[in-house]
Amino acid sequence: MAEKKTIFTPVSEKEVTRAIVDSFARQFIEYVESDCLIIGGGPSGLMVGRDIASKGVKTLIVERNNYIGGGFWIGGYLMNKVTVREPGQEILEELGIPYKKATKGLYVADGPHACSKLIAAACDAGVKFANMTIFDDVVLKEGNQVCGAVVNWTPVRALPREITCVDPIALESKFVVDSTGHDACVVRKLEERGILKTQGFGAMWVEQSEDLVVEHTGEAHPGLIVTGMAVATTYGLPRMGPTFGAMLLSGRRGAQVILEKMKKK
Amino acid sequence: MNDFIHHIPDGIYLYQEGDLDGLDIQSVGRYLTEKTRIPFHIQGNICEGLPEERIEAVAEQLAKTKVKDPGRRFVLGIPLQAEIDYEKRRIRSPNWRIFGILYEGVLYQKIISDLIFEGERDLNRCFILFTNQLFGTWDQNDKRYHARVSLYGFPHLISISGLVEAPAKPKEFYLKKQMGLSVELLKEEYQGQFLDHGDLRMTEVLKGYAMQPLFFHFTGDPFCEDRDCRLFNSHWQEEVLHSQIGGQYEFCPRHEAILKELLKGGTK
Repeated sequence: MAEKKTIFTPVSEKEVTRAIVDSFARQFIEYVESDCLIIGGGPSGLMVGRDIASKGVKTLIVERNNYIGGGFWIGGYLMNKVTVREPGQEILEELGIPYKKATKGLYVADGPHACSKLIAAACDAGVKFANMTIFDDVVLKEGNQVCGAVVNWTPVRALPREITCVDPIALESKFVVDSTGHDACVVRKLEERGILKTQGFGAMWVEQSEDLVVEHTGEAHPGLIVTGMAVATTYGLPRMGPTFGAMLLSGRRGAQVILEKMKKK
Repeated sequence: MNDFIHHIPDGIYLYQEGDLDGLDIQSVGRYLTEKTRIPFHIQGNICEGLPEERIEAVAEQLAKTKVKDPGRRFVLGIPLQAEIDYEKRRIRSPNWRIFGILYEGVLYQKIISDLIFEGERDLNRCFILFTNQLFGTWDQNDKRYHARVSLYGFPHLISISGLVEAPAKPKEFYLKKQMGLSVELLKEEYQGQFLDHGDLRMTEVLKGYAMQPLFFHFTGDPFCEDRDCRLFNSHWQEEVLHSQIGGQYEFCPRHEAILKELLKGGTK
């Protein structure tokens, strides 16, 4: 009787474990120091990462969730259609994301398709990720220049207080990007230390506040670039509805700022 | 009610700030002169030719006047550098299109006043600034800031963004928006029922709003209680459109009489 062939090559459990640990550790060691550390893997963070990594900038995105993409998977009211205002569709076009015109100046795309394409574009550009990793603090050097972040495993936060004595670790970088959305975690940490004062949200006076977010995107403090909804929190800009054009364009603007600053350095 | 004309300005000086989205300021000026016989002068962009060191100072002042929390009394803050840089870019670009920040109206008026008068205020002339920026004033009754269309004084401010955003749209518009319907689609559904940016009716509507500062000079009161009069203080878009372009008359009999008196060479 002939021996039955298995579909997959037999590999022992220990080899699987070794492959995971080895691969993760190698990458982690390499990215303990990077050019740019992006906190938050939502649309604006992914866009910054994609644009700078494609220019050869060594980039690591820290994401507290297991999944990357933030709110870009779904639009308003948990409906998985995402909208962008003109000229946001130019980025959809560039990333090969299918979209349709909803009305004059407004375009709609499938959230899962748009988000997965953006993540793939960031990966293809060379961005690396540390997911399930939560931002804990900033690393500051002389003159309070931001030059890295202190991070920990996300689950540590969920553990009972008695057993959360897991010390975090520090990652160093030339630039840190706060793309943590409404929370603006990095900016808030500087605020806690009395280095920066955030303004909180303004009222939603107008439907069109996306321009303001893009216009205010940039370096909020030496070494710290703020993008996406964190910009609105930092500068007290009006809240926005669920349109993602500003997130993508803000990410692009943030990337331009980083590239210009790196050129000067 | 005081129908005595106690002040007639020597001239009407029209300034603008930012892209006015199709507003024909010449046409507004001609209308004001036709109604009052007071000559008008187009002064152009309020920040034009401002020296660099002044731009820096004005930008910082503007950044300080942002209303951060409309539910709280205004407190002067220390702006972040990016906020000042934003204002500098706005000052340097005469056709700046971006708006959405709510500025503290009275402080905003003071900044504009300093730009126009650079010293002693000229109370004999009527200065009106048309801006595309939003400003608001504190309402003591409900203890919060409200966006405004206009603010009277020296100078008078009229906000085009305020005209679009401050008077309320139909209630159903907000209910449907709350349910998650796209604003663009709602604008299509309610087309014509409120003013939007770039609206072809904007110049005609603003002619009436520009008459309000003049009545502030003539009688001390820019408003009228008659919803058919162009001086009606509208709180709903429907009222704006009715009083400015859909009313029985341009001005109610009382205000029409004041204008007639003025054209005859009324008292000063």
